[in-house]
Amino acid sequence: MRRRRPLPVWAVGLAALALLAMVGKAGAETLLRARLNADIRSTDPGTNRDANTDGVMAHVVEGLVAFRDDTSIGPMLAESWAVSNDRKTYTFRLRQGVKFHNGASMTADDVVWSLKRWLDPATQWRCLSEFSATGIARIEKIEAPDPLTVAITLDQPTALFLPTLARPDCGQTAIIHHDSVGPDGKWIAPVGTGPFRLGEWKRGQYVDVVKFDGYVSRSEPRTGYTGAKDVKVDRVRFNVIPDSSAAKAGLLSGSLDVIMSLSIPDLEELKTRSDVQLSITPALGLTGILFQTRDPLLKDVRIRRAIALSIDTAQIVEAIMLGTARPNNSALPLGSPFYSEAQSHGYTQNIAEAKKLLAEAGYRGQPIKMITNKRYSFVFDASVLVQAMAQTVGINIELEVMDWAAQLDRYNRGDYQSMAFVYSARLDPSLSFEMLTGPKAAQPRKVWDNPEGQEMLRQSMMIDDVAKRQALFDEMHRRFIADVPMIVLFNGAELTALRKSIKGYAGWLYPEPRFWGVTVE
Amino acid sequence: MLSYLARRLAMTIPTLLLVAVAVFALVRLIPGDPVQVMLGDAADPAQAAQLRAQLGLDQPIPVQFVHWIAKLAAGDFGHSITNDLAVLPLILDRFQVSAVIVLVAVGLAACIAVPAGLLAAWKQNSLLDLSVVGGATLLLSIPSFWLGLLLLLLFGLKLKWLPVIGYVPFAENFWQAATFIVLPIATLTMVEIGVLTRMARAASIEVLRLEYVTHARAKGVPEWRVLARHVLPNAFAPTWTLIGLVLGHLLGGIAVIETVFTLPGLGRLLVDSIFARDYPVVQGCLLFTAVIYVVVNLVVDLCYPLFDPRVTVA
Repeated sequence: MRRRRPLPVWAVGLAALALLAMVGKAGAETLLRARLNADIRSTDPGTNRDANTDGVMAHVVEGLVAFRDDTSIGPMLAESWAVSNDRKTYTFRLRQGVKFHNGASMTADDVVWSLKRWLDPATQWRCLSEFSATGIARIEKIEAPDPLTVAITLDQPTALFLPTLARPDCGQTAIIHHDSVGPDGKWIAPVGTGPFRLGEWKRGQYVDVVKFDGYVSRSEPRTGYTGAKDVKVDRVRFNVIPDSSAAKAGLLSGSLDVIMSLSIPDLEELKTRSDVQLSITPALGLTGILFQTRDPLLKDVRIRRAIALSIDTAQIVEAIMLGTARPNNSALPLGSPFYSEAQSHGYTQNIAEAKKLLAEAGYRGQPIKMITNKRYSFVFDASVLVQAMAQTVGINIELEVMDWAAQLDRYNRGDYQSMAFVYSARLDPSLSFEMLTGPKAAQPRKVWDNPEGQEMLRQSMMIDDVAKRQALFDEMHRRFIADVPMIVLFNGAELTALRKSIKGYAGWLYPEPRFWGVTVE
Repeated sequence: MLSYLARRLAMTIPTLLLVAVAVFALVRLIPGDPVQVMLGDAADPAQAAQLRAQLGLDQPIPVQFVHWIAKLAAGDFGHSITNDLAVLPLILDRFQVSAVIVLVAVGLAACIAVPAGLLAAWKQNSLLDLSVVGGATLLLSIPSFWLGLLLLLLFGLKLKWLPVIGYVPFAENFWQAATFIVLPIATLTMVEIGVLTRMARAASIEVLRLEYVTHARAKGVPEWRVLARHVLPNAFAPTWTLIGLVLGHLLGGIAVIETVFTLPGLGRLLVDSIFARDYPVVQGCLLFTAVIYVVVNLVVDLCYPLFDPRVTVA
């Protein structure tokens, strides 16, 4: 009989290693890797910020209310709210059991402290001016009658109070714990209530957000920045990758899971890949051609109208966006609940009419300078196509390509004849018109200087009756189309590429990602 | 030697001052400012004015300049406008990344280019010469971002030998760090080989025509010894000057490589800051690069006698 020999040491070692590896695998954290095209600016939401900062911080902090998928306002940290009869006092009932990232429970005192901090000029909150004399309304009182109730009193009624609180660029007017700042009031790091807490931020390289185990989710389905926020990964790493080719290589090699804000050429290229899936969502941005209505030549509405009639918006949008976006001549974005039948009437190409208008205006081929940029390739493409189409009726447009900061300078000073421009998303229809409407003498960046338009805009900001607001927006649209202060072309689309292993991702009207409800298989 | 060093150092002061004035003026001359970039298409005039006052941008430009210079004299490069970090530590941190890549790449390029140039000159008009010149011209003509992307696609995506994105400092994990910078270094080396080979070849051809080479050959000195002892040291001197120039150039021009390979280096910092109109960082980066340029050229000049004994530093 042969005696069984003991296993050699190396075999025992190997087995142990294998076992360890398996245990290690079972305990390994799930990591979701997304791309940012530039680093975030700070971790202080709604102050030192840009779109990337807003997108990352939306995972970490929350406000009383938030935008839903359809841009209506839903409750977030508030359970509900009531508005007084004079429509000046909002009383919020807070959700019970909400925890901050440091374990403390959220109370009305935290809400009062946070709001007062935002309203302190030293904080430099982006949206402070909205609550100043020239803004939507001034906040007169913030009170906490009991630990779960907060009452805010305004000096005048406004339809924009809740939408402003919810604005992502205002940092959603986040409710944060006072440990977020030091004793000197200086910002340290956000101690918020979001489904993720802030992890490591290596400047220029990446910023991590880590699953917050103490998160108490809402129960209704995920919608916009509210609803259920069920986190299914341990960590999300936002990698800073400025070059889009490098980002694509990262996705295809498997070292990156998600690329947001794809360009159209990138989208076309990734379409054919079997290991990649695409998410295409209508977005709220607005691309169009602005005219300086105080320019000696372009102050003649017939010339502006002739340009509008010389172009075929649908053809331009198809050529640039390759089916990912639809044409829209209205200041209200497609997808807005206020986009009605009235808004669908825009400019229809009419070469004969355009030529007639030009002849009436006495236009004899004088050059019209159009500023454009290559930072947003679709803006540049749009300007080239508009130039070509206008040429067919004899309009002589000369393009002037600038870097974005230089173009913004000209835009803010109103120092241009015409420019191809892109506006960032506005979530409320009044705000969509507000970015275009105003007196040029006081605000040179405004394109539509029409006193009646301004009065209707003011009313739309005060009234919160939906039907009345709708009527105002319809009338403003009709006048806007007649005045042709600009030609709105399209709203664009939010294009995201994901590896096939990512499930549960959904884009929405606001062009920022949401990584709750998302799994990595 | 010491007096030469002192004189050279003294001469750098007006140079750097001129650079400072030029940098400051140029940066302010570009339209747009950090406030506009920050506020984007929703720049409320009151808010913009407040922000501008806070950043000191509402002061007259000469006043801003004096403030900046006064702070610089105390070694304070100021604070970044976009992320409120001190500029000098930010630059030094990013500089490490760029410096490693540039130094290694230029060193490698010199090691390959100088012998290649020498051989091509020695066998002038032969097939070898033709291929060296052809290869160098090809490398010179390829845009560095395109070459970088090709390498990235080949080694990162197709072969999967190297990671495609990311960066780890050497202090953290040496081998991992190495895998991240192999491709950037390879790209830069290939680009620089082109320039340096042609320079080394031209210098060698000139030396090969000199009488002492003919004399050495006539004496019966073996050919390899002629090349190694007589031609190489004399041909290396002009190439060495060029290496100095290339080093200085690259610190400014490495931005493309850093962008393609997502490296947090000085070049990318500079480009990002220009687009954001982050004045203190742009000024700091340019001034810092100027200092590096001056220092590199000084070191090159000081090392010159080592390669060419006819030159003395005094």
